Amino acid sequence: MLKRSSSLLIILIFIFLAGCTPIKLAANPTSTPTIDNMTFMAGYKPQANLPFVGVYVAQEKGFFAARNLNVSIEHSPGSGQHLQLVAQGKVQVTTQDAAVLLKRRSDPGLPLVSIGLIGQSGQQAFAALKSSGFTSPMDWENHIVGFKGTPPPDLFALIKAAGADINKIELVNVGFDPRILTEGNVDVYPVFKSNEPYMMQQWGYEIDLWDAADYGIPSIGLTYVTSEETLASQSDILSRFLAASIEGILYAEKNPDEAVDIVLKYAGPETERDHMRFMLDSELKDLRSPITDENEIGWHDLQQWQALVDLLVEYETMQPIDVSKAFTNDLLMNK
Amino acid sequence: MQHKQSRKTIVITLSIVIFFFLAWELGVFLTGTPVYLLPAPSRVIQTLLSHPDTFAQATFLTLGEALTGLMIGVLAGILLASVLTLLPGIEDGVMTLAILIKSTPMVAIAPLLTLWLGFGILPKIIITALMSFFPVLINVLSGMQRVDPALYDLFKSWNASRWEIFRFLRAPSAIPYLFTALKITGPLSLIGAVVAEWTGASGGLGRTMWLAYTNLNLPFLFAAIFILAAAGMIIYRIITWSEAKAVFWQPAQTNS
Repeated sequence: MLKRSSSLLIILIFIFLAGCTPIKLAANPTSTPTIDNMTFMAGYKPQANLPFVGVYVAQEKGFFAARNLNVSIEHSPGSGQHLQLVAQGKVQVTTQDAAVLLKRRSDPGLPLVSIGLIGQSGQQAFAALKSSGFTSPMDWENHIVGFKGTPPPDLFALIKAAGADINKIELVNVGFDPRILTEGNVDVYPVFKSNEPYMMQQWGYEIDLWDAADYGIPSIGLTYVTSEETLASQSDILSRFLAASIEGILYAEKNPDEAVDIVLKYAGPETERDHMRFMLDSELKDLRSPITDENEIGWHDLQQWQALVDLLVEYETMQPIDVSKAFTNDLLMNK
Repeated sequence: MQHKQSRKTIVITLSIVIFFFLAWELGVFLTGTPVYLLPAPSRVIQTLLSHPDTFAQATFLTLGEALTGLMIGVLAGILLASVLTLLPGIEDGVMTLAILIKSTPMVAIAPLLTLWLGFGILPKIIITALMSFFPVLINVLSGMQRVDPALYDLFKSWNASRWEIFRFLRAPSAIPYLFTALKITGPLSLIGAVVAEWTGASGGLGRTMWLAYTNLNLPFLFAAIFILAAAGMIIYRIITWSEAKAVFWQPAQTNS
């Protein structure tokens, strides 16, 4: 009797399993595609820097979702944590200007790689109040020039290109605070063209700007950055991320007002709308160059990067690096 | 009589505060100081009132982090002080480590904690707990060690065990010291949470202050400072009120 019951139970189990299997198999073809999770960390606070805008817009307009990406957006306080997190693999993509990327690759040897150059020209410039009467960097002699952290190489190159004597200029570390210029604590102040000039104009000051690029000094701007390991192991995810972010940038170019509305969702009420519009418009001017016209938005050119390395080696005593490993166009070609 | 005295104190306090803000308002108006250098208090209040949701959310988050960190720091301080009282042989070693923690600048540690633990609330709670822990440890340990010698001799004459002396003599004598520590660490816990948020967070008053500072939006920055100051004052008042209730055997503080 017991034997018969056991046999019956086994048969029932087989029938049950047999009944289940086709349902499971049938479910597979209609199952939803895999969503890949990744983290993007903007290299600074939420604002209208163009690479940030691309990601915000891609998130809000569904460009990431359309590529089966679930992107978590974080912001770095700007003290370098974002580069460490990318090097650790905790963050897949961040942003950084090309010069700092090269310096961190050289020392301490972070394995950072640019996957898209969004600022084809650098955003740094040097500002003086119009009332100072300066007409060229020659006039900076016997005056105080501020710098943030360490004097940037383009400052030295600019002074040299203009024929001024660096020994007659007093350089002081000032940090981020354009009030130092308007209050007369320094005579020349380093700015990001898309940021501080707006503030100073709003405060009622007229300023003059000197851009190193105008003196033929190599200057490139913000990039999307990943690590060598992430690039090797998650190139498909990175490729989709880059395609969606560039789609976001191009959308912002066509719809700047809507893009600024999206930026303000992240930047909060602490941020002024017109300031963000100024920033977006300024940075859009550097999105394209003859290099991107010939290739793709975000394209890197070896000569462009090598020129920047040479500048850093000359003025920042940076150890030379193999610049070809600092960027890749592969993801742009695959997108 | 006492009621009349406390009303007089409130009037004097309010008068001083109102005079301070009026002088500030007038100073800004008369000197024509631009808002990006120093906003008038009226402008700060206006900013506060025009973004109630933003400030409320940020305040609740920061308060939550601060009070959780404070609770953990206080419990850890009391626990360690108790252990050191019961096992005095390990005091030097443990105190060396505690001083090491106390001497470490939190502004240097906070970004590292963010790197290790992410941008959630955990690093903020840890920073706050670390800042709250040391004053509690030192004060409670002093309270437990500095018992009334006459009472200690009495307990000894009753052949009380070390645990009984701890429970019935040392622990109660540490309570006033604990409140002294709380009066320091209560407002300090808010600073801990803000410092941690400043180095990387997705919300809270510290993030609001960081964003406002980097945008040179001073009315927003000062609005957050006003909230922090008010919260610190409320926490301090709650602690002094609790002290009066808990340490009922001690005379109330008077200035006379």
